[in-house]
Amino acid sequence: MTLLSDIKDYPWKSLLIGLLPVRLAALLPARFQTRAAQIVPSASIAGNALTVVIAIMSFLACLTLGAVYMINQSANAWVNDISSEITVELSPINTPDIDKKMTLVALFLAKQKGITEVKPLTAEDSASLLEPWLGQTTALQALPIPRLIAVEIDRSDPPDIQSIKTALSENFEGVTLDDHRRWQAEIRTLTRSAALGGLAVLGLVAAATIAVIVSATRSAMASNREIIEVLHFVGANERFISREFERHFLGLGVRAGLMGAFAAALAFLLLPTMMDMLGGGIVTAAEAQRLVGSGELDLKGYLLCVLVVIVVASLCMVTSRLGVIRVLKNYA
Amino acid sequence: MIRFDNVGLRYGSGPEILRDVTFHVLPGSFHFLTGPSGAGKTTLLRLLFMSLKPSRGLIFVFGENVGKLSTAARSSLRRRIGIVFQDFRLLDHLTTWENVALPLRVTGKRESDYREDVTDLLRWVGLGDRMNAYPEILSGGEKQRAAIARAVIGRPELLLADEPTGNVDPAIGNRLLRLFVELNRLGTSVIIATHDYALMEQLDAPRLVLYDGHLQISRAP
Repeated sequence: MTLLSDIKDYPWKSLLIGLLPVRLAALLPARFQTRAAQIVPSASIAGNALTVVIAIMSFLACLTLGAVYMINQSANAWVNDISSEITVELSPINTPDIDKKMTLVALFLAKQKGITEVKPLTAEDSASLLEPWLGQTTALQALPIPRLIAVEIDRSDPPDIQSIKTALSENFEGVTLDDHRRWQAEIRTLTRSAALGGLAVLGLVAAATIAVIVSATRSAMASNREIIEVLHFVGANERFISREFERHFLGLGVRAGLMGAFAAALAFLLLPTMMDMLGGGIVTAAEAQRLVGSGELDLKGYLLCVLVVIVVASLCMVTSRLGVIRVLKNYA
Repeated sequence: MIRFDNVGLRYGSGPEILRDVTFHVLPGSFHFLTGPSGAGKTTLLRLLFMSLKPSRGLIFVFGENVGKLSTAARSSLRRRIGIVFQDFRLLDHLTTWENVALPLRVTGKRESDYREDVTDLLRWVGLGDRMNAYPEILSGGEKQRAAIARAVIGRPELLLADEPTGNVDPAIGNRLLRLFVELNRLGTSVIIATHDYALMEQLDAPRLVLYDGHLQISRAP
């Protein structure tokens, strides 16, 4: 009940007025206007420097969250792609007619339940897969390059991979089946590591923001000590006094958060162009794309930036409120 | 209403400013607090207002032991007390009207509920044409009246005033005294700390006389 009445009694109108620039606030309907002057003057709260610091924190938080989100999206796409596919590898060693063996294995696979498509790759296809690492060279023809068969599986009714594996090894020499589980596990580990790294960065950003706000709150209270004393003398309680401070910090948090999120959104918008410009060639660009996708953030990603603004503003408000109440305990 | 039992106060490890102060203030009473400069009048007022804690002894305000009050309870009791400081303590960035309205604003009342009251009181204390002026351009007497208006706007049960007529001419001083007397008739207990014997002689009220840290209670001569 206390929390509900606290929310109900909160001076939302004056908060809204405080958030907007004076000219814009004057355009609001009369019911949003308030004649009451600010008891704690805005000018006495640390201003531009603090706004810039919080904006940078928001920017870093948005970048971190966006990057983790993008990597996660790309990883999900990879996992989805490869989880519906298995690869059969045929070693050319000790195999006089590899093409015949390819056909036999393909026919065997096509008969198995749960397999929807079997696609044998040509020797050229295998060579082109090695091109990014070895380049275009005729020497590849002389090398014993393994031949591959791409197999699509029915994800709703998957085949018994283990029995196919056993059957292949029993019937064909030098044929192995890769169901990409190790690769999927590695991708999951990578995304989890990225998420944990992102979480650590967000934790550091939050800690730095809290430290800055605590310091600014103490400084604001020291410079407004006389006002606080007068408020005490006229019977203001801790809640009233903390509100007078916290609404300044909430306004500051919203403004700084928006600035940081806007800058981060701009950075994400420009990221694909920057990746093209700084990619250092087709191969590197392709590798970067494989890692973070196209570099474009979707709507959910931008909503995360909005979430950052809300969290930063709330953090500013709550930290300043707790800071004020803590300092007030020392007042008579 | 107020009870002091053997109250003593010292700042840090210095000598005792107040010693064995014992007195009662009954509801609806009127007292002058007097004594030479440095006798501890302002300190006693601060103890009454709970902005200082006694070094020893017990203080009861509205029946509550001040030493055991929570911060919230102290704020709540302070709303029942009006105080006028010698140095006014007006907020320079608020207008006279906003300063006077402050005790009502902190209670969460709507401005429309007290607008008329504040305006009427400011007219009554002779500041009708200074309502929108900021304290820094007010004269000493005007600041004094604004500070008094702020102390009485909430119809306190106890009014404490530290030299309330120190900066005003005798005519305004008499008018302010009439305001205190009127409040007292309406049920507010009043304690006025003053050097002004002319002011004290106008009223047959008991005097709390502080001398050398001790308190004596005497009637008007």
